[in-house]
Amino acid sequence: MRISLNWLRELVDIDPDVDTLAHELTMLGLEIEAIEHRGAGLSQVLVGQIKTIEPHPDADKLVVCTTDVGQDHPLQIVCGATNMRVGDKVPTAVDGSTIAGGFKISRRKMRGVESQGMMCAADELGLGSDHSGLLILPPEVPVGADALHLLGLDDTVLEIEITPNRGDWAGMIGVARELAALHQIPLRLPEFTLQEGTRPASELSSVTIEAPELCPRYAGRIITGITIGPSPLWLRQRLLAAGQRPINNVVDVTNLVLLETCHPLHAFDFNKLHENRIVVRTAKQNETLETLDGQTRKLTPDMLVIADARHPVALAGVMGGADSEVGENTTDIFLESAYFHPPSIRATARALGMNTEASQRFQRGADPEMAIWALDRAACLIQRVAGGSVAKGRLDEYPKPFAEKTLNLRYERTDLLLGTSVCPEAQRDILERLAFSVTHSDAKSCTVRIPSWRHDVGQEADLIEDIARVHGYGNIPASLPPIRQTDMIFAPKERPLRNLRNYLSNIGLTEIMCMTFSNPREIENAGLPEDSRQQVTLQNPLSENYSGMRISLVPGLLSTIATNLRRGTSDIALFEAGPVYIPLENQDLANEGYRCAIALSGAPGGKHWSAPARKVDFYDLKGYAEALFDWLGVPWALQSFESPAYHPRASARILLDGKPAGTMGETHPKVLRAFDIEQPVFVLELDVDPLLGESAPPALFTEPPTLPPSLRDLAVIVDKSIPAADLLETVRKAGGNLLSKVSIFDVYTGKQVPEDKKSVALSLVFQAIDRTLTDADTDKRCEKIIAQLRKAHGAELR
Amino acid sequence: MKQKLEEIRASALDTIHAAADLAELEQLRVKFLGRKGVLTDVLRGLAQCPPEDRPAVGKVANEVKQAVADALDARKEAIAASQEAASAAAERLDLSLPGRRPLRGHKHPVMRVAEEISDIFVQLGFQIAAGPDVETEYYNFDSLNTPANHPARDLHDTFFVKPGVVLRTHTSPVQMRVMERTQPPVAVIVPGRVYRVDQDASHSPMFYQIEGLLVDKGISFADLKGLLRLFIQRYFGPTTKTRFRPHYFPFTEPSAEVDISCTVCSGKGCRVCKHSGWLEILGCGMVHPEVFRYANYDSETYTGLAFGLGVERIAMLTHAISSIHYLYENDLRFLEQF
Repeated sequence: MRISLNWLRELVDIDPDVDTLAHELTMLGLEIEAIEHRGAGLSQVLVGQIKTIEPHPDADKLVVCTTDVGQDHPLQIVCGATNMRVGDKVPTAVDGSTIAGGFKISRRKMRGVESQGMMCAADELGLGSDHSGLLILPPEVPVGADALHLLGLDDTVLEIEITPNRGDWAGMIGVARELAALHQIPLRLPEFTLQEGTRPASELSSVTIEAPELCPRYAGRIITGITIGPSPLWLRQRLLAAGQRPINNVVDVTNLVLLETCHPLHAFDFNKLHENRIVVRTAKQNETLETLDGQTRKLTPDMLVIADARHPVALAGVMGGADSEVGENTTDIFLESAYFHPPSIRATARALGMNTEASQRFQRGADPEMAIWALDRAACLIQRVAGGSVAKGRLDEYPKPFAEKTLNLRYERTDLLLGTSVCPEAQRDILERLAFSVTHSDAKSCTVRIPSWRHDVGQEADLIEDIARVHGYGNIPASLPPIRQTDMIFAPKERPLRNLRNYLSNIGLTEIMCMTFSNPREIENAGLPEDSRQQVTLQNPLSENYSGMRISLVPGLLSTIATNLRRGTSDIALFEAGPVYIPLENQDLANEGYRCAIALSGAPGGKHWSAPARKVDFYDLKGYAEALFDWLGVPWALQSFESPAYHPRASARILLDGKPAGTMGETHPKVLRAFDIEQPVFVLELDVDPLLGESAPPALFTEPPTLPPSLRDLAVIVDKSIPAADLLETVRKAGGNLLSKVSIFDVYTGKQVPEDKKSVALSLVFQAIDRTLTDADTDKRCEKIIAQLRKAHGAELR
Repeated sequence: MKQKLEEIRASALDTIHAAADLAELEQLRVKFLGRKGVLTDVLRGLAQCPPEDRPAVGKVANEVKQAVADALDARKEAIAASQEAASAAAERLDLSLPGRRPLRGHKHPVMRVAEEISDIFVQLGFQIAAGPDVETEYYNFDSLNTPANHPARDLHDTFFVKPGVVLRTHTSPVQMRVMERTQPPVAVIVPGRVYRVDQDASHSPMFYQIEGLLVDKGISFADLKGLLRLFIQRYFGPTTKTRFRPHYFPFTEPSAEVDISCTVCSGKGCRVCKHSGWLEILGCGMVHPEVFRYANYDSETYTGLAFGLGVERIAMLTHAISSIHYLYENDLRFLEQF
């Protein structure tokens, strides 16, 4: 909503300082989006009347005019425009004035002829970009008057955001009323006297309401013998300042009254209404209506329309129809002022995708009591600017009269809710200033009648908010509440998830946050198993890419890698921990379990002068998995499996307690191609949700051995296909309780080892708790280990 | 004999002092102090001394022996020091070469800021709560006093999953989910993803919010002001000013928006604050009685405060990030700055 201060000043005696006013409105709840100083920098532009136009002696494209600006002598002005005639009134910048762009106008010679000022085109005053000719002012403006004022170029416009609860703020009177209440000064409603003709309106037309629930009130007046034409300058300026385009005098008046009262009005061409009557009803099946914007709308039976005896002529409260539009040749009008059911207007406007000045106001709740004042005010103004005769009396069907509501306010409750001590008199006073009328009052409480425009007020708390607003939020003290504890734990997984994210980011992985949307193509590209591609889908997605919710973190990781590669970052180590959304059959909500995914690619360790850069491989990823599970304190195992997501040479399922809990491996080359990635990627995805609930049991202390251990290294040659884990298992079994630790320190294939064999070097640590092991003890155990390795795996000592 | 000892001392100290390396020094040790050394020889001759002279001669002999030993030690130390110095000069490291760093990861700035904000409230006694992203209209709207066709629904451009099911447009539905689980007192802080059909220069269809709810007897708007002012001063610094101005949310009454003095210009007016000196950072209010009715709370006995803020905006202010889109592009050159 654009608020013209020139206009606002007519309604309430406000502070002249714009910043002060902006602050006051802000603190009342009207948020200022922008402040526009119209005509800023312009000065001394007067209304001039052209008295003579003569050719320029030395220039074909210039003329020499004499222009009367109300001073002793008319000005001689050299001008290049051609659209003016003798007698026209134009904005004239006199000697010493400033026009748009900061140009100073002074006397100067143009091709040898003195020019004592400048007659202006619209763009030269900052009014749009029209430079086709001089801005011709209407004939009624007085010569010598301040043209900037007449053109609204001394005005300031505040653009304010209106919260949906305060429909009344979408009108000048509503805003003025707030300021009047704040400053305890009167609101000055415009005064008018309507001259009615003799013929009663009821003889000319009738109104029938067939849907009283949707249209509690419908009033109208009939004005005959009007002349359609452009509106006078003052009216056009009002609309322009408010950001609206002037159309013609009748439509402009309805728009002006809408801006003033917040009550939408509509004028029909009376002679285009079949049988000259109005029927308010819901649309019939398959009915259509061409609206004012030229679009043909398909109507449905839940939409309220204004019809004549045959057809819909307007979409009630949203937009008028093209057929009954007021145009150049209109002489008689039916002026509508109604009150419609807000949710019905909202539903219709949304269904048709129409958001109009009228629908915005009706859906927030117009003022049913204001309907008549607005109707009469508009009739009076139309008569003033378009002539004609207003038929006697109104048509006013009011099947569902506005029920006045009252509310009780307990003074103590105000102070309790606000933490203030505002005395009862002050509380009552604020409400009265906001036009609540007190119907009853005692020491502890009062009862007030709610104004008809305050649809937002339905509870005591609403009254308390109004008291708080006018009292001033800034005047409410600040205190610290006591915060009592309970034994409820609402989200047991949040803290462990944060710990997990901390851990991963501390061991070299960078956290990413992807949009949680996904789409079937991406899911297929990532090679996720076909039987688990069910997504939570959106009915109104922003784009095909975001058609549903993600079911895996992997596509996001791969897209992120692709984006970074495109931007020149090829050494990558990242993770994401967050929800995926698995639809549940016959349930509204999804299963939103937390997952954690890691991706490595390139050489995230970077280059170092001491060694060549090393590209990551599967074992880097496995190292992260080991670190992760070690940190989680969870035993786990890997099981190789086939998947379109992973390269067959490195593709594993992660098992926890023997059950699949995730996957890891080298991303399948086909997947890489689909994501436009040209280097190997290693990915792990784990369902961490079950691991976050409770913390691992505390580790229990064992006495570190005090006696020295006995160390042995041995290397065995085995078939390439034998997994290292099997060798270790055999070693552990054979080593028994004396073997405290075994690790693999080398795996070798090559020259000194037969093809299809490998050499595995093991480091063994023997330790007894109660004695120092002798060489004999250790040797004996070693021999047993070697024997078992030979027996189980055909191992040869190297 | 004494004289002989003094001669030995003098010659020993001279030769030791002149020794060039550790090998020579070792030879000298053997020569003077060894089992067949000069001093041992002399001391062996002590028996031939007259008995009355023996204590005095013995004392001198020990002194000489000690002096030679000290001289050997001192010279050894000196030779070692000079050798170390010589080798250090040859082996000196280029200290300016980069070290071998352990890998460093980075937390996402939205997550980190969300945690910092949550922690301020957790320290005050609030508990973390959470709720689903795919949410019913009941929790997202109806139970928060926003029935169907309420104009306030226009404030949220909502993603629909199916009739009655949406992607939550704010973290406020968790208010109701928490209140359904327990009677007051309630003090929760709810970080989470939220969604709106909005994508332009300053909006992302998914973003991160933090919701707070405190319900107990006697909670007032003054408490709301005090609590949020404390939070703002802890997060943005003790000199940050706050301004509460009236606003509208369907689920609070009275409602407010909170501005802080601009973190860039300290309130003087700049491009970031659109020359107003203020930055809007959160919405808040006193829990609407209608919301309590849905929660089966007695709104005569209990009052509550609630607030919600967008984490991206605060992360952007904190780190002077120019566009919200950096936050969800996951460009590592961006993420590694935090």
